[in-house]
Amino acid sequence: MSESEKFDAIIVGAGPAGAACAYTLAREGKEVLVIERGDTPGSKNVTGGRIYTYALEMLDQGLSEEAALERKVTREQVMLLGGQRAITIDFHDPSFNRDGHPPMSYTVLRAPFDEWLAGKAEEMGAMVACGIRVDGLIEKDGKITGVIAGEDEMYADVVVAADGVNSLLAQKAGLIGEIDFNTVGVGVKEVIELPASTIEERFRLTNPEEGVACMILGCTEGIHGGGFLYTNKESISLGCVFMPGEVARHKKSIQEIFQDLKMHPAVYPLIAGGETVEYSGHLVGEAGYRGIPKQIYREGFVMIGDAAGFVINTGYSVRGMDLAILSGIAAARAIVNASSPAEIGPLYMQELERIQLLPTMRATDGYFDVLQTGWLYDRMPALATAVMADLYSVDAQPPAKLSRGIREQMKAHGISVWDVIKLGFKGVKI
Amino acid sequence: MSKIVACYKWVLDESDIRINSDLSVDFSKAKGKISDYDRNAIEAAVKLAEAVGAKPVGLTFGSSKARQSLKDALSRGLEEAFWVKAEEAENADGAVTARALAAGIKAMGDVALVICAEGASDTYARQTASRIGALLDLPVVTSVLRVTVEGNTVTAVRKLDDCLETVKFELPGVISVLPEAFQPTIPGLKAVMAAGKKPVTEYDCGSLGVNLVSARKVMEVKAYAQERRNIIIEGDNAAAKVAAVVSNLKKEGVL
Repeated sequence: MSESEKFDAIIVGAGPAGAACAYTLAREGKEVLVIERGDTPGSKNVTGGRIYTYALEMLDQGLSEEAALERKVTREQVMLLGGQRAITIDFHDPSFNRDGHPPMSYTVLRAPFDEWLAGKAEEMGAMVACGIRVDGLIEKDGKITGVIAGEDEMYADVVVAADGVNSLLAQKAGLIGEIDFNTVGVGVKEVIELPASTIEERFRLTNPEEGVACMILGCTEGIHGGGFLYTNKESISLGCVFMPGEVARHKKSIQEIFQDLKMHPAVYPLIAGGETVEYSGHLVGEAGYRGIPKQIYREGFVMIGDAAGFVINTGYSVRGMDLAILSGIAAARAIVNASSPAEIGPLYMQELERIQLLPTMRATDGYFDVLQTGWLYDRMPALATAVMADLYSVDAQPPAKLSRGIREQMKAHGISVWDVIKLGFKGVKI
Repeated sequence: MSKIVACYKWVLDESDIRINSDLSVDFSKAKGKISDYDRNAIEAAVKLAEAVGAKPVGLTFGSSKARQSLKDALSRGLEEAFWVKAEEAENADGAVTARALAAGIKAMGDVALVICAEGASDTYARQTASRIGALLDLPVVTSVLRVTVEGNTVTAVRKLDDCLETVKFELPGVISVLPEAFQPTIPGLKAVMAAGKKPVTEYDCGSLGVNLVSARKVMEVKAYAQERRNIIIEGDNAAAKVAAVVSNLKKEGVL
């Protein structure tokens, strides 16, 4: 660092995006300062969650092997809840976890993971300052030139906003407005401790390395949203995400709906006897490609990770951490390759294309329309479970004709053939 | 420049310590931190050093885990950190701790004042200051609420059970400060950044000749939990309910 205390880059936020950016920049010999508000990286995080390893491998080969991760995901599940009924779809593909290759994805607890990744950035030479809140940006001649934290000012060629969803820095930079409640979900999560062997028994896993990622539909009382469950080594992360606008109008609170999910006959046996060691809530971006702000840079300033809206929700899986890491790498490459600070922003956009982040976001844009379909969140799971109930009910009476039974159940659940066709049209655009 | 030494201990964060159903204690998830009270001692050293133009330094006796403490301590305004290192520190009693710290104080030299907290946030044994004073043959003042230094004279106000006592002594000496005496400040960005560049000296207990044998042996660590009877007394008649409470208390032998 020079006498004038000016860094090549100041990164605000030591999550995966910020740490990946810092790691890459420091490896290229840049002077980097990471400022983290939590006392340790990850201490403020609430993510589910799971991470796809390809992003870590892109950051540095072999990194996913030493990362602080939980269980490799060997079973992908979707659970449909209708009243007391439940359907669980359980998908298993051994090719996702082949010998000699990094497993495709892992469940992860973010406190240890973020601390580990920030530590890697520090090993590379980045400076990480924790327990510091950035209060504002320093602007000179229309350019962002540094940050203000308490009484201290710190200068850099570029400030990287990696401060998560609802980025206060991006607001201060004038790139986004107040948060729009239609573009975010509000999530709650509990981490429930259970012995590893109990988790393996309940989820039919053969060893402590294997794990389950499960999305749950039909647990939000018709509110747009859904549940998630991830098996960690010795705990289960169970949570639920809701659109805040609809929750506000709903008679039950988020905690009550979440409590009902925990007590559901298909969910309770999975967590019974466990101890809740963590309860937390956070916002999560829900708008996919459309949630990316129009402009994610200005001179001396770029946004990465959740701050830039890089989250994909397809309904059957959620991605954010891998995209965060990709965007951190892209920003770092732009900073390294730019010959002047003015070039960083446009180069960053190019790198986001080259690293396939923006193409991926575009390719999954259609899911947003599908997931806007209101009846997916209550009537669809109710219908599906009711049809199953008809199928499996056996008594002394002759069974109803299947096709008629389905038609009657569709009518009873208020879903028309036309509704399904409309959804199909949205679906084929994906 | 003479030194004002703040002694501090790297302890487990009590909020991360879990108690199992069999009353065994689970320390495995607990992270470390500088003992809360020792942050006051550090603040005291920084403030007093500023007032008299001395150099505020930190001193800790700890295992390899205490390495994490150095940056934190230095971000709180200390100019240099000294670390007397031994794995035995984790099970050390008050005598071993004081011997190690006293050896560190001797080794760094030119110490005007040693400041300890009244007790550590894990054991709160309240021994360190007095034992260091005894080992180094220095005057000791405990329970210090306020302190000023003029020239070579320290004036300290002690908070006792029912009065305040003002005492004076000549430097060098040892004091232990009460938690309310100095409010620690939260380090700012520049202080945190500067901490990484400040000098750290590691002392090996062997070369300092510290006797690390604890006289105290820890036999068992067990949690204390109150047993609850979980009796709910229902009914509409207040007098009957009170009578039921009284009869239950009598049954428990508390009345």
